[in-house]
Amino acid sequence: MSDQALQEKIIEALKTVEDPDLHKNIVSLGFVKNMKVENGNVSYDVELTTPACPVKEQLKSECETKTKAIEGVASVSVNMTAVVRASEHSQPVLTGVKNIIAVASGKGGVGKSTVATNLAIALQLSGAKVGLMDADIYGPSIPLMLGIPISPPRVGENNKFFPHEKYGLKVVSAAFLTKQGQPLMLRGPMLGGIIQQFLQNVEWGELDYLIIDLPPGTGDVQLTLTQKAPISGAVVVTTPQEVSMIDADKGVKMFQQVKVPLLGIVENMSYFICDGCDKKHYIFKSGGGKTLAETFKIPFIGEIPIISEVVIGGDSGVPILLSDPQSPASVAYTHLAGQVAAQLSIQQAKEDKAEATFDLAWKE
Amino acid sequence: MDQATKVDSNHPSPKKLQQIDTSTLGITWTDGHESVYAVKMLREHCPCAHCIDEWSGEKKIKPGMIADTIRPKDIKSVGLYAIQFYWNDGHDTGLYPHELLRKLCQCEICKKA
Repeated sequence: MSDQALQEKIIEALKTVEDPDLHKNIVSLGFVKNMKVENGNVSYDVELTTPACPVKEQLKSECETKTKAIEGVASVSVNMTAVVRASEHSQPVLTGVKNIIAVASGKGGVGKSTVATNLAIALQLSGAKVGLMDADIYGPSIPLMLGIPISPPRVGENNKFFPHEKYGLKVVSAAFLTKQGQPLMLRGPMLGGIIQQFLQNVEWGELDYLIIDLPPGTGDVQLTLTQKAPISGAVVVTTPQEVSMIDADKGVKMFQQVKVPLLGIVENMSYFICDGCDKKHYIFKSGGGKTLAETFKIPFIGEIPIISEVVIGGDSGVPILLSDPQSPASVAYTHLAGQVAAQLSIQQAKEDKAEATFDLAWKE
Repeated sequence: MDQATKVDSNHPSPKKLQQIDTSTLGITWTDGHESVYAVKMLREHCPCAHCIDEWSGEKKIKPGMIADTIRPKDIKSVGLYAIQFYWNDGHDTGLYPHELLRKLCQCEICKKA
């Protein structure tokens, strides 16, 4: 068989490989690129929409198996790549940022910042370019969790400033705007101003994902961000107890009201794994996050265990994903990052989307 | 995903805004519905805290208070959920959520319903 005929057969075979999230075959999604066939030796790229794709290995082996099964194929080399698709928006802020993910909760103390930090690290470890915005103005904790000493940001031209960098992440936090340990005492309207600065004046550069760690609640910061920032999707963090659930419920409703797509619910401090028996102990009830997700018909995208290393990682500035990648918490965060990226890809693949932004000048 | 799509269809968003004539605004929605609005009616239904008392819910705009010459100067989207009108009487504090705009639709079908 000629190489040309073989290539056509391979393409036909790859049309039976379906992306489980987007429910379309990888050929019609345009994922298959740079196919070369020489004397039966086949190589091609499969370009996914996110390096954090949770089914990357599964897709790769399916491609290899289906290609090898074709008569005349001597060898196969499948190269998995990814180019993160940008959520469409025409707002004049954060133009180099492809996707903006808000991490929120109704209630304080559920581990939002820990989840946001580890989610950012997990996405970054997958190979994506990631930024982290600490929008918790009154209680910024991201610098501590990443071990970034408090210092003023480097200033650029036109009032712009540069994010701090650590572990390959770009980080902006209100903590960098004050002296170490000094509280920022501000009334509501000032909060909006700081958030505007974070949106307009930071030299983020090119980012695949910007994670925004929101303060708890449904106030000024949340409203400014939903009005001014082109948020691609929101992740709501909760803990299993009822008291956390009633607040998370409000967080979900807020995003529904302002029409920010909900990527999913994450349950933090879900269970404790005893080092003696390896059994999962559901200390604070179980299934709360799942129930909440079912009530609102949004995906339940992760359960993070209670592990003391997560806390130690946060306090020492070395996130658990970096200190102990095999820990159950690290595995859970990697899974979460895959789910978040997959949900974003699903949102973007939706047809019949609204025009995100418009400006109509009236003619007399 | 199917569930999420369903939620969307219950909460349509504007797909296209257009000026139909000097005093009429048209909105085409994601579910295909085509709305028409007299701009004066939209000004009279401004949902902002100046126009509707935040505590009592009392409407501060009385019939006849808005001039027939009222026109928007500019209409902009706010986030993914609302539209802001900049009126020629200087008023611009009203954010009209998509849901409210859908309720205010004055097309033939909605008028009958």
